[in-house]
Order: sequence, then C-alpha cells, then structure tokens
Amino acid sequence: MKREPGMHYNTKTLNKVFAFVAVLFLIATLWMFLDDYIRPWKAIQVKALEIEQKVLAERIAEENKNINQEDLAAIKAKIDSAEKEIEGRKKEIQSIEKELSLLDKKIYAQNMTNGIHGSKSGEYQFQYEHYHMHHDKRADKYKALMIEAKKRFAEGKDDLKTYQLEQSQLNKKLKKITSKKSEFEKELSKLTGAKDRLIFAKSKTEKTPIWFLRNSPFIDYLDPTLKIEQIVLDNITDDRYFVQTKKVDRCITCHKFIDKEGYEDQENPYKTHPRVNELAVGRNSAHPMKKFGCTGCHGGEGHRVFDFSAPAHMPQNAEQEKEWKKKYHWHEPHKIPEPMLPLQYTEASCVKCHSGEERIGLSQKLNKGRKLLENYGCYGCHKADGWEHLKKPGPSLTKINSKVSLEFMKNWIWSPHTFNPNSRMPAFFGQSNNSKPEFMIKNIAEVNAMAEYIHEKSKTSNAFAKYEQGNAEKGKELIQTVGCIACHQIEGIDEPYNKVNSLKGPYLTGTGSKVDANWLVSWLIKPSHYQKDTVMPSFRLSKSEANDIATYLLGLKNPKFEGLKFEPLNKTVRDEILVGDYFSQFDPEKSARAKLNSMSDRERTLELGRLSIGKYGCYSCHTIEGFAEDRPPIGPEWNGIGSKFVHQFGFGQQHHIPHRRDAWMYAHLENPRRWDIGVPKPFKDLNRMPNFYLNKEEIDAMTTALLGFNAQFIPMAGKKNHDAAGKLALEGMKVANKYNCYGCHKIDGMGGDIGAAYSDDLNAGPPWLVDQGHRVNPDWFQNFLQNISPIRPYLQVRMPSFDYLPGEVDKLITYFNASSGVSNYINKPKVVWEAGEKEAARKMWDGFACVSCHSIGFNNEEAQGPNLHKAASRLRPTWIKKWLKNPLAIQLYTPMPDFWEGGTKAAKEYDESLAGLLGDDPERQMNAMVKYVLSLGNVKTEMKKIESAAQAQKANTETAKKEDKTEDKK
Amino acid sequence: MKEFFNIYTDPVYSFTFVCIAFFFMIKYVDLVATKKFGIGLMIGTVVMFVLCFMDPVFSANFYMTNDNVPIIFLVLLLAWTTWFALYKGVNNDRRMAQGLPPIEATPENREKVWAWPNLVYTELFAIILGTVFLIGWAVFFKAPLEEPANPTWAPNPAKAPWYFLGLQEMLVYFDPWLAGVLLPGLIVVGLIAIPYIDVNPKGNGYYTFRERKFAIIVYLFCWLVLWNFLIIIGTVFRGPNWSFYGPFEVWDTHKVIAANNVNISEMLWINTLGVKLPSNILVREIAGILMTLAYLVLFPLFLTKKLFNFKGTFGAIFNGGFLGKRYLQRLGWARYSILIFLVLMTLTLPIKMYLRWLINLKYIVFMPEFEFNI
Repeated sequence: MKREPGMHYNTKTLNKVFAFVAVLFLIATLWMFLDDYIRPWKAIQVKALEIEQKVLAERIAEENKNINQEDLAAIKAKIDSAEKEIEGRKKEIQSIEKELSLLDKKIYAQNMTNGIHGSKSGEYQFQYEHYHMHHDKRADKYKALMIEAKKRFAEGKDDLKTYQLEQSQLNKKLKKITSKKSEFEKELSKLTGAKDRLIFAKSKTEKTPIWFLRNSPFIDYLDPTLKIEQIVLDNITDDRYFVQTKKVDRCITCHKFIDKEGYEDQENPYKTHPRVNELAVGRNSAHPMKKFGCTGCHGGEGHRVFDFSAPAHMPQNAEQEKEWKKKYHWHEPHKIPEPMLPLQYTEASCVKCHSGEERIGLSQKLNKGRKLLENYGCYGCHKADGWEHLKKPGPSLTKINSKVSLEFMKNWIWSPHTFNPNSRMPAFFGQSNNSKPEFMIKNIAEVNAMAEYIHEKSKTSNAFAKYEQGNAEKGKELIQTVGCIACHQIEGIDEPYNKVNSLKGPYLTGTGSKVDANWLVSWLIKPSHYQKDTVMPSFRLSKSEANDIATYLLGLKNPKFEGLKFEPLNKTVRDEILVGDYFSQFDPEKSARAKLNSMSDRERTLELGRLSIGKYGCYSCHTIEGFAEDRPPIGPEWNGIGSKFVHQFGFGQQHHIPHRRDAWMYAHLENPRRWDIGVPKPFKDLNRMPNFYLNKEEIDAMTTALLGFNAQFIPMAGKKNHDAAGKLALEGMKVANKYNCYGCHKIDGMGGDIGAAYSDDLNAGPPWLVDQGHRVNPDWFQNFLQNISPIRPYLQVRMPSFDYLPGEVDKLITYFNASSGVSNYINKPKVVWEAGEKEAARKMWDGFACVSCHSIGFNNEEAQGPNLHKAASRLRPTWIKKWLKNPLAIQLYTPMPDFWEGGTKAAKEYDESLAGLLGDDPERQMNAMVKYVLSLGNVKTEMKKIESAAQAQKANTETAKKEDKTEDKK
Repeated sequence: MKEFFNIYTDPVYSFTFVCIAFFFMIKYVDLVATKKFGIGLMIGTVVMFVLCFMDPVFSANFYMTNDNVPIIFLVLLLAWTTWFALYKGVNNDRRMAQGLPPIEATPENREKVWAWPNLVYTELFAIILGTVFLIGWAVFFKAPLEEPANPTWAPNPAKAPWYFLGLQEMLVYFDPWLAGVLLPGLIVVGLIAIPYIDVNPKGNGYYTFRERKFAIIVYLFCWLVLWNFLIIIGTVFRGPNWSFYGPFEVWDTHKVIAANNVNISEMLWINTLGVKLPSNILVREIAGILMTLAYLVLFPLFLTKKLFNFKGTFGAIFNGGFLGKRYLQRLGWARYSILIFLVLMTLTLPIKMYLRWLINLKYIVFMPEFEFNI
C-alpha cells in the first residue's frame, strides 16, 4: 500500500480501527450496565410476584365458593329493579341535577364575593384604627367604609348559607330517590367485598407494559417496582465500632411474604414466618417487624443483599450446607464477627433484650437449655451475669460421712455413671484425654486423695431418727403420690408416674447402695437438719411414712457397684504428682523434694486431696471444708461467649468440626475433652471440663442457651424494660425456680412437669396457678407458704414445706401479684347485704348444690373442691366473681360448672327453680354469691351443727352396736 | 513437585536462585535476546500460571486477595519488557559491531510524520482500549469491599497495597526507620541523582546494552531483584503473621516459625567473650559501629585506592583499588561518593538478608534507647 507523505499509517485503516474499538467500547459499556442491572434479588422478586398472583388466584377462587350465587343473583336483581325505578323518575332527577349545578355556580360566585368583602373590611378596619390612634381626620371616612364592608360581608355570608341549605335539601331529595339502590349496593359489597379487594390486589401483581417500563434498565431509577426494601429501626443499632447506627434490615427484599399469612407452605425465601402473629414479625405479634427488624434476633448482616452469602446466612447442618453450596454457591462469611445464628439456635437472641429474665415466655428451646444448664449445675463452675443467686448445684460435703461410705465416695468420684447412668455429677476420669495407663495411675491416686480429704474434713451429723423396717409398697405409693416425682426420677415406679421427666433432684435409683439408712429417714423427715440450705422440702411425713419411703428406696440397690473395690493409693505416684505438678511449680525440684520429705504420709495424701479438689474444681459445686465460699469457680465465664471470636476457641486437632461458635459449643458439650486428642500435653495441663454424657437434644438446647450469653449492644430503648413491679416479679421468678415451684404448678403457662402423671385427671394433681396474684389474699398467702395447711385435703399430692430464706416468701408473693398486676395490699373484705340478697344467695347455694363438691365443713362426704370456709381469708372478692363468671377461662380442667355461662345468663337457665332471683340479673346474682362465700368463713354455726349432728349419729350407731353386742352375748 | 516449590520459593533459597538467574541473564545476554527465547519465556510464564491455577490451594489464595491480579500482569509484563529491551539493545550492539548504525538511526526510521493522526489517533485507541480493559477487569473482579473496619479485628496478614509490598518485605530485615523511611527516601533521591551521576553520553535515542552495561546491570538488579521480586514475595509468599507460605501451602494462621535472632553485640559479648553486656551503649555496640563505619568509609576507599601490596591471587583480591582508575577518574570525587554511597546502601538489603539467613542476625547496631537500630 502506498503511504502518503507525512503519514505513518493509512488513515482509512485508522478509521476502521477506530470503528472497531468504538464498538468494543460500546459493548463494554452496555455490559457494565447490564452487570449492574442484573441482581439476584430481582429474580426472586419476580418469582415472588408470580407466587403472590397464584396465591391470590386461589383465594379468589375460594372466596367465590363462599359467595352464595343465589344471594348474589337476588341482590343483583334487586339492584336492577331499583335502577328501573330510578329510570322512571329520570325527568325529576334531571331537573334536580340542573338546579344543583346552578347552585354550585352560585355558591362559587358567592364565595368569591365574600372573600372580597371580608378582605376589604379588614383593610378598612386597619386604616380606621390607624388614623384614629393618630387623631387623623380620615378616621371617620374609613369608619364608614369599614361598617359598610362589614355589613356587605355579613349579607354575603347569609346568602351563602341560604344556597347551602338549598343544596343540601336537593341532595337529600336525590338521595331519597336512589336510596334503595345504594342500600342494595352496600349489601352487594358485603357479599363480594373481600373478593373485590383480592381482585384489586391481584391486579397489582400483573406484569403490564408499564411494569416493564418502570423496571427497565436506565429508567428504573425513577420509580421501580423491583427494588430493595428495607426496615430502619429506631431503637436497635448496628455496632460500627466507633458509632452505633440505626439498624437497617433489607431481608424483606427477598423474604417478601415473611409477615403475610397464607404463604406458610411456600419454600424459602417466600415463606411466612413461623408463629407470625404470636411470636414475631406479624403486626400484632410480640415483636412486629417494623419495630424489631430481622437481624436483631437472627444475626447476620441485614443490610447486605447482593447475593445469598452476603447477609451471612448460616446453614443448620452439613446437609444444608451442601445443598446451599450447590444451589446458591454459598460460602462461609468472611470477617463477619457474628454471622446469622443457625436457625435452631435463634432463640439465643432473646436474651439480648430480655436480660435478667430466668424464663422467657415464648422461648421454648432457650428455656429448656437454661433449665438444663441449671440442672446439670454448669453455672457452678462458669460464672454468668444473672445466675449469681443460684446456690451451689451439688450437695454440701461438709457432713458427708454420715451419708455415704469412703469406699462409695471413691468409686462414685471415679465414675458416677457406673452407679447411676443418669447421674448429674459428671465424669472426670476415664475420658478420651486421660485414659492412657500413665494418666490413669495418677488419676487413681488423685481420686483416693480427694476422697480421703473430704472424709477427713467431714463433720459428723447425728441422724435424729432411727430407721425401722417399713412397708416398701406403701413407700413406693407415697413417692408416687406425695409429689417426690416432681423433682426426682426413679426407675421402676408405675405408670403414669414414670412419665414425669424432671431433673431438679437426683435420680434415686440405687439409693440402697449409697446412703446410710438412719441418715435417709432423718433426711426425709427434715432435710434442713442435714444441710441448712438445701432446697429439698419437708413433706410433713410421719415417722412411719418416712420409714416406708426409706424402706422402698433402700431396696433399690446396685449390687455391681456395691461390689467394687477401689484401687488403693499408690504412694510413689502420689509423691510424684505432688513434687512434679505442684511443689516444683515455682521452686526447683530439690526444694520441692525437701518440702515433701518434711510431710508425714497422711499429710501428703491430704495435701494431694486438697490440691486435686482445687484442680478439678469440686469446690465449685460442693461446699467442702477448707475451701472458702467465695473462692472463684474453676471454669471460664460465660458472659460474652456468644460473641467470642471464633479464632479464640481452641479447635485442637478436631479438623472435622466447622470453625463456628455453635459448632464448637456443640462439640464441646458432646465430649469436652476432645480438644486434647492428638495434642501432646503433660498430665497437669490436661483439659478438665468433665463429661456429662448429654444427649443430642440436650446439647442442642444448651448450645442455644450458651449462645445467648451475647455481648452485643442493644440500646436501652430497644430492650425489654420492666417496670418496678416487673423487676420484682423477675426476682420472685428466681425464687419460684429455685424451689422448683414449676415442677408441680403450671404457673401462667410455664412448667407443671408433674402434670404428665395426671394427664387423665388434672384436677387430681397440683393446681395450676393462673393469675394467682389476683386469686389470693397476700396476707393469707404469706402465712400459708410458711405454715402449710391443706386447702384441698382430697388431693394425695402434698404442698411441701420449704425452708425459705428471709425475704424469699415476700419475693414470691410479689412475683404473683406483679404478674397479675394487682396490689400487695387489700382491705379486709366487708360483707354488706342488700335487701333480699342473702336469701337469694342461700337459694342459689342450695340450687347449685355447692356442698356436693365443696363438702368440707358441711358434711362428711368426700370433697372434690377446695375448703370454702377458708375462702374469706384466702381469696380476693374480685377474683371469686371472676371465677364464678367463667371458671373454665381460668382453669382449663376444672370440674366447677359454669353456672352463669360466662356471666351472660341468669341462674334460672341452670335451674328453673331459681327463676326470679334478684331480677334475674346475672351480675347481681354473682355479687350475692361472692358475698355468701365470703360470709361462710365467719359463720361457724354451720360447722357446729354438722359436727353435733355427726356426733349424735356416731353416738347413735355406737349405742346401736353396743346393743347389738349385748344382744349377741345374750 | 509442589512440595519442592513450597520449600524453595522461600526467599532464603529463592533470592539466591533469582540472583544467579540474573547473573546468567547478563552473562548469556546474547542468548536471552533472541526471539526464540522471548517466545519461550512468554509461553513458559503463561504455562506456569495455568499449572499453578490448577492447584486448588493456589487458586483459593489467589481469589482471597484481589491484589494478585495485577501481580500476574506484572510478571507477564516484566518478562516481556525486560526481554524486549534486551532484544533491541543486543540487536543494535550487533549492528554496531558490524559497523552499521543502530536501527533507530536508519534513514527510514529518521523520517518525520504528522502527530495527527499518527500519534494522537493511536493514543485515543489506547485510551479506549485501556478503558475497555478496566471495565472488563472491574466486572470480572468486583471491588473487594469488606466489612466496616473493626479495630479489634485487624486482618492477618495486614498487607500494604501491592506496589508497596517490596518495602513491607524489607521490614522483615530492617528497623522501620530504615525500611520505611530512609531506604525509600534514598530510592527517590537516587532516581533523581541518576542523570547527574551518569556521565556516559552513549545510548541516546537508541537501544543498547554493551555501551551502558554498568548502568543497565545496576538498574535491572535493583528493579528486578530488589524491587519486583520482593513485591512478588510479599504478595504471594507472605501469609498470616507475615510468615512464609509456599504457593501451594494453605494459609494456616497458627503456623509457627522459630525465629531466634541475635544482635552483633550479643554475639560479641555473650557468645564470644562470655561476659554480660556492658552498660555503656557505645561500648556495647562497638563492634557494629565499627563494622558500619568500615562498610561506609573504608570500603569505598578500598575500592578506589590500592591499600596493600600483597602478591598473587591474595593480593589481587585484598589489595583494593578495583574501581580506582575507571570510575574515580571519570566521575570525580563528588559523583563517585554519591554513587558509591547509593550502591552501598542498596547492597545493605541483600547483605542484611544473607546475614539474617546465615547467622540469624537481628541488628548490627542495636540501640533501642535512641530508636537507632541498623
């Protein structure tokens, strides 16, 4: 090719190259826009639209079924006929409408005129006042003008009112003509309104050309329908390290129907939130979405929506992880300190706002986990805020000699689960990190030394009762019925009593091989004699009852365990541990040996025992002589563990465990010693967290509770804030929990473990405490808790007598009062009868046959209801009325009849003979009845009458018997 | 094979390999500057990357840090530009040896053309293509936006921008004052000083190797070995805790490397003389101070002046005066001093590296009391 002068390139070629690179540039630019336009959440929103359409179509179809076609046709016919009628008066209507339009014009014009006069009068008034003030002559002129303008303004207003009156009259006339039609139309909308609304909603889901336009690239900045949706929270923040910013949750961008009912069966993310109207998200739920958002509970990064992994979704298990990786290219979140909680642990978040609450009403799993942490005594070794009030989980060992033998103690410490597979004392020995023979030898020496130490330091406690052989069958019966099973589990008890699954107290199987017989009887009669601070209550057992129970329990033996002989102490090993692990810690070995040599044989054993108790932290759970009560427990604190950095957890050689907080906790509870496996460690550094042999469900629940110890900051305004009464109630709840009130009583829906044994007849079990604060008089309650006297003697299960600490009773009462929202003080109710009330009440009392169940104090028949003679002092009058009005609303299982059917019907409906009482007014009748019940306690005559009658009868029968006998002799 | 690379890419070994490779490149520059070698080099580099990416660990490390993308470009471009310059230079050298002018001086290459459209138009193409390339890059490798900064959770490894990783690598061997302030400052000063030091009039307007051998060798050594190679090490081979990780090695944060480094003063007083460290700082650090002075003052003299008069090979090495005639005379004292100072300061890096690797040397002079550690 020929080159032009001064040119290196051919211009045409350059132009072609330019064209090529320009096209390339255009393509790249379009590609960039497209890349920016295509977002994963848009596809989800489009699909959500389709799902919504489908669901709405289904609902419309359903609504169609609900509409009675005949009714519809009838209404339509009515509307047609009404229209025809209107048609007939067409001329009339037209003339009215003409007049109306004329009036419209007049009103408009009058408004304009009035405006002019009004403003003018204002102007003249100002001028007049202005000149008048300055003594100007012009004042008079403006005064006249002002008066004139005001007059015309008033006239104009009057004209306007006349026109408006005419207008409303005409409108009324018109309405009268069309009234029939509009009435029928209202009827129609009642019938089809729901459907019409659905059809309207469905029309919003259509993908019309306008929809495409609004969502097309470049234009979609104007008013798109596909867009990121977000909730900005006022009271919950995101921690951005130097600043707390309002939390922004965009989860609803994809979780479109999370707050809408009717999408429960859709797959994620199109699903409705579980318990949407009760627990969370729903507008009327406890935690509406607009106020609490999503990530406050679920965790994760709520503002990030660019792909599935971005908000730090976390899979529940390995299977889901695999599925997600395949489906969404999920990857582990990077550098997100607190990713989403795997779904099964979400309840851990409840604690963030509900701190200080021992049990949280809606958090079933969390409550379970916390109960387990309590029952297994985890808090003994691990400190945690809000758990300080709990007493040491293990029994005191200060008088242990009177309870078990030294040999038993050694075998028990070595392996509690050999004796009792359900032991809550965990296993320290024979674990995956200390089962090597060289470690076992040392462990045996330690166990020997610890038992010797405890034995040596134990004081003697004299059993005040002597065991006498009783009736084991009777004992078993007592255990089943008195209430022991609310806290203790025992192998071999009968259905349905074995259904109760409570772990408050120890599992009692094998007791016969464990405890001293005299100790057991004394313990049963008065537990506080042996251990002052025990929560084991007295059931006011008679001596023979205690002996019966003891006989039964002592019969439960574990012969295999009894035959065990613990290996004796190896003195060389003992000395080796003392020198190697303890004495030479800060001193050279030579001085350590010298120290050892200065000690006697017994001293060495006891010293190793003391040191080993410190090493394994026995003192954290048990009170042991020689260990101060305030000695810090052995385990690391729980506070903040739910936010602890993952890299601060030691995963050792357990490479198959995912590096996540929850996975570590789960694995740790499964086998706490696993982190030592494959790690070369000397004996003294071995991991000491014992093994509780937990099952999967327990671990799952406990992991939830542990993750709850979260360090995230929630502003005060975002938290659950209790008022003064509420705070007191929480304190009382702790007492209720300490004494396991929940074991027997279902208190406002929580607890009631023992109910499993009474599922056939809940009325035979301990009463549920519903609205208990409102029910009882605090003065009576105060006395009752400390001096139990049965209210329902017909129940076999007994309300136990606890040794409350000072103040605990008050806390309990305040708890009930505060949860019911009632005052702690009430005036003594005074009964003032109105005319005829007393007679009417008496009649109802007989008519309802109250004494047929509430027989105590009235006759000798077996009672089925509480003692009503105590009602006046025990119950609050307002509660009695509430109870009479609708007993079933308070106590689901009560056999108490609903005499007034929720206060809607008079007594005559129940029994015709009661007609005409107090004007058949249910309110007045119930009031009378309340007064009657309150007056019962004051009237002892009834009782006396009955007693004397009974005595007379007794005397009669006795004399009759005597007569019989004498006749026989004859 | 991967294991081999995992071990021998450690700068302890690879730095020496690279130095040797550099030596051979210069020695056999005629071979290097052939088209065959160039093509082979490019293919070899690309194949190397492809093979590396087939390894899951390598590609995982790669995707974790987007900085690695320019490193790939860097390596390819480096190989290309170095080869291209040498190719051109050696070609001209050959022509000049035959008595021909350099390619750039041939009549057809001296012809003048219009800047528009010959230059400006093509520059526009370059701009557009560059933009297209950047768009493509941005779309393929999204900006590595991370979480809001968390002061309690610093990233590990915490890395400087990729072009500063050579400097960061120097921190392994030097006190921050030296590696972070003095030596980078000297790099700038040295670059500024080059035109004033350089008195060689040859090589203007054309490529050449032979006529500017010293300048090219010194510059390429600094550029390729001391700068770019250290960037590659800092980017690819440094993982958590700035420990060495092979290209196919998983970045395990818990990797432990025993580093027990000692100072010259400790070697002298404790290890050699068996006494405790003197309390006087100057006495304590006397060995290091003397060595530094000798390096900076006596060594330049040794290079210029014949100080001794030994005979035989021994004399050839230790008598001194290697550079005396050629450089001192040509440059004069002032230029020579600056040049030799810059060269010596440059050489401190490899010297300190080798001292660290060979005798675990921490500091030559260690005066934390004055924050003076070299």
